[in-house]
Amino acid sequence: MKTILLSTATLLAVAVAATSPGPVTAGQNNDKTDKSGVSVNDLPTRTPIKHLVVVFNENRSFDHYFGTYPNALNPEGEPVFEPAKNTPRDINNLLSSPALLTNNPNLNAANGAGATNPFRLDRTQANTSDQNHGYTSEQKAYDGGNMDLFPSTVGKGTSGSAGAFGTTGQVMGYYDGNTVTAFWNYAQNYAMSDNAWGDQFGPSTPGALNMFAGTTNGFTLPVVPPGKPTTEPGLGQALLAAGAGVPNSDGSLTLTGDIDPAGDVCSSPAVQVQMTARNIGDLLNGANVPWGSFVGGFNLETINNNGTTGCKRSSAKQVGGNATDYVPHHIWFQYYASTSNPTHARPTSTKAIGFTTVPGTRKIDPANHAYDLNDFFTAVGSGNYPAVSFIKMASFQDGHPGNSNPLDEQTGLVNLVNFLQEQSDWDSTAVIVAYDDSDGWYDHASAAITSGSFSPADMLNGTGNCGIPGSTPMPKGLSGQPVAGRCGPGTRQPFVVISPYAKKNYVSHVLITQASIPQFIEDNWLNSERLGGGSFDATTGSIMDMFNFNKKNSIKLILDPTFGTVDTKDKSKN
Amino acid sequence: MFNRTIVWFLGAGLMAGAVFAAEPQDLPGTNPNPVHLIHPPVQPLSAMARLGRDVFFDISLSSSGKMACASCHSPDHAYGPPNDGPVMLGGPQLTLPGMRAVPSLTYLQRQPDFSIGPDDKSDDDNSPTLAQRADAGQTATRVQKTATQSDQSAENIVPQGGLFWDGRADTLQIQATGPLLDPREMDGGSIEAIAEKLRQAPYAKKFAALFGEGILKNDNLLVAEATFAVSRYQIEEPSFHPYTSKFDYWLEGKARLSESEMRGYRLFNDPRKANCAGCHTSKPSRDGFPPLFTDTQYEALGTPRNSELADTRDPNFFDLGVCGPVRKDIAEQTQFCGMFKTPTLRNTAVRRAFMHNGVYQTLQQVMDFYNFRDTNPEKVYPIGADGKPQKYNDIPAQYHANVDVIDPPFDRHPGETPAMTEQDEADIIAFLKTLTDGYKPEQ
Repeated sequence: MKTILLSTATLLAVAVAATSPGPVTAGQNNDKTDKSGVSVNDLPTRTPIKHLVVVFNENRSFDHYFGTYPNALNPEGEPVFEPAKNTPRDINNLLSSPALLTNNPNLNAANGAGATNPFRLDRTQANTSDQNHGYTSEQKAYDGGNMDLFPSTVGKGTSGSAGAFGTTGQVMGYYDGNTVTAFWNYAQNYAMSDNAWGDQFGPSTPGALNMFAGTTNGFTLPVVPPGKPTTEPGLGQALLAAGAGVPNSDGSLTLTGDIDPAGDVCSSPAVQVQMTARNIGDLLNGANVPWGSFVGGFNLETINNNGTTGCKRSSAKQVGGNATDYVPHHIWFQYYASTSNPTHARPTSTKAIGFTTVPGTRKIDPANHAYDLNDFFTAVGSGNYPAVSFIKMASFQDGHPGNSNPLDEQTGLVNLVNFLQEQSDWDSTAVIVAYDDSDGWYDHASAAITSGSFSPADMLNGTGNCGIPGSTPMPKGLSGQPVAGRCGPGTRQPFVVISPYAKKNYVSHVLITQASIPQFIEDNWLNSERLGGGSFDATTGSIMDMFNFNKKNSIKLILDPTFGTVDTKDKSKN
Repeated sequence: MFNRTIVWFLGAGLMAGAVFAAEPQDLPGTNPNPVHLIHPPVQPLSAMARLGRDVFFDISLSSSGKMACASCHSPDHAYGPPNDGPVMLGGPQLTLPGMRAVPSLTYLQRQPDFSIGPDDKSDDDNSPTLAQRADAGQTATRVQKTATQSDQSAENIVPQGGLFWDGRADTLQIQATGPLLDPREMDGGSIEAIAEKLRQAPYAKKFAALFGEGILKNDNLLVAEATFAVSRYQIEEPSFHPYTSKFDYWLEGKARLSESEMRGYRLFNDPRKANCAGCHTSKPSRDGFPPLFTDTQYEALGTPRNSELADTRDPNFFDLGVCGPVRKDIAEQTQFCGMFKTPTLRNTAVRRAFMHNGVYQTLQQVMDFYNFRDTNPEKVYPIGADGKPQKYNDIPAQYHANVDVIDPPFDRHPGETPAMTEQDEADIIAFLKTLTDGYKPEQ
């Protein structure tokens, strides 16, 4: 059976490659000149940041990780967290109103047996079930901003492995500094936001696309399951029924669900989607700024210690069980013809990483800015440090409940940040840790809806409504006409900036979203050029509040990758 | 990368060598290719696990006031049943017989979720339903399970993983809730009743310390935390997964097998003989985890009906495992009727109830079942009114096609030579005894 699936996927990949522009003719680089001679540190930038590393993790809400920050329970035997005296207390979390923990709106009877106050998840409960995080389900949980229907609408999904914790009302659980210890220590020493949101409601793929392109509008379906309609109006209705997309009056489709990217040899052969918007990779290519995406499990030739390889490469979780490293529907660049690498082709050399062309030649490098996570360590360690690096951990470390957990996530993140702090270019580096989605985990805060949507998929404030009809504007799509399916801001998520220029022990209250990431890249390297086509990069808030470019914090913070506790704090010699 | 592939193939070859070509070199019975095994970390029990230990041994949670988790999952019997009968007795007076033999709680910490076909843990967003996976299985070819082909058969689209004989629980926490509420076991009554007992328990203050005072007011969460604590005790407490059998030491080159044990080991792994390892995987995983002696897949073996069980007094009662009657979610997948989970064989020699219905009391009987089911069914099944052995008499006729007749030794026919001699069976049993934990290697 497996063989049949794989060979079908291969055939599909060939078919798609034949009808869509592959990496060889891709993007903005038709002049085919040697673009590899760029010195990243000499590129003009608006800030002292010469290297941005975006670690894009999965499925955690802000209160789920920072609900009681900076107060941890500190039970015997767990990593201890004690906050610094000057830790800000004006944080919008579960401590901002005592009733949130003792008389929570989710106690209401509509939640049935799941009705509960928020409760602490212990470090031994790092391995939990996954919650429901559909575009419509999350809107229902938010209940017009009442934030009171989480257990009944986004409660327990899959069960996790043998040692996992699950209960009715589990969606109300939160971790503290005894479990997400590294995050809390980064927050103590660098900057975070308590006002960071998904650009829209919904799961992983829309989050990844908003981080990369600021929009989910405009897609085609090169692969549709047999028997399903391929054209309107049937196609839009089928997408709505599947909770995957919304049809618009301008004829375009907006993606609201998780569908695998077109042509990726690892994608499901059943249904595949291709986005048509411009993305930040296109802008970076146009300006000849070295950049790359580094993805755990991307190199199909690698053989893991357990003997797995190819699309089925997998890793063992420290909480038990295995997870397949590469998850196609999390991988932003694969959705766009201009930035995809559907065959997972390897770069010609470590020196070619980050560049469109092979160094010293006019030949287009086959990797098309898409690499394995291992390549990041190899390239940066050898002095080839791209200006912009997007990181996707292998799925056991991506934070997604079920296939990952906060402890494996912590290990992956700490190893990466420890490594970067040892590089000579750390003093011009900023690491952003952000999320694609909340997973549905309870959060008490809601943002005023600024991008309305009024489609059958919308249920925030009454059937068919996300926003106030006639008052809340709908965002524009690629065609310039208003489109549905982009309702937001959606769920609130952690957002941490780790950099010598991050304000120390600072909590920013400026409203930002996933699209604030491409906005920062545009502001820093691209003279604030915007993506257009209704991308949220033009309208969202700026992350600049989390930086102080006049004051460099030269203290290195090396954390223990298992416990997240502080190993050493050293004055950097750089 | 190509070179690395070759190295891996060589590695696999060496392992096969360890299995089949262990000719005495210097010291007889040593493993010519010792391996390094990854053992679970041993750390002090967390506060959660210590709370779980209290719950695990708490007899007050049962209606009889005399039965704890540990009563059936006895620490002195590899967390299996301590009694001689096929099932344990429970309920308010400890007189009600259970439905199935009590499984061991050992070696479950790596158990994957129940799934049909390999569980794809990359995609918790888009997991196909069990029904969809079952449909895929209808058209997929199934690879014969042999001791030397277990990597291929692991990909079969058949039920695998999960807890209980029918896989109806995925987590040890959910599993622990089952006996707690089962009227024939601990008979806890209801979540509310159990929560009240937890509030009265001497360890109640430990809940408040870990979860805050509010926990004692929330019945559902209190019981969920209590059962999770039990699962955490199972995960952390080393005696649930000690990996201290003679065979583990032999794998690492620290013990010698006797001549009989070594012969048994070869027969166990020989696809033409017992072929036990076709399902009871005996190889360490490629990344060095010790073998679990189960592929966690499900099989319809056609085990004889156990007339000792109370349920079987009803001639229309059939325990069909994955498709019911206890498990209810995939009852319509009748191709799984009669299937039960392949258990680990670690510590099997300390058991006195074998198969899901406890029909056998000795390993000898179990070996005879495998050996004679197809060649001499009259030795296995009762003889019917027609004078013929009532083959598969614990499965209704319409599901007989589900019984495994593919995997050796079940591919034989009446009159053919049985796969094993009497000596073969004795040697295999000698080998199975090397899977009992607590072996003390010579220094």
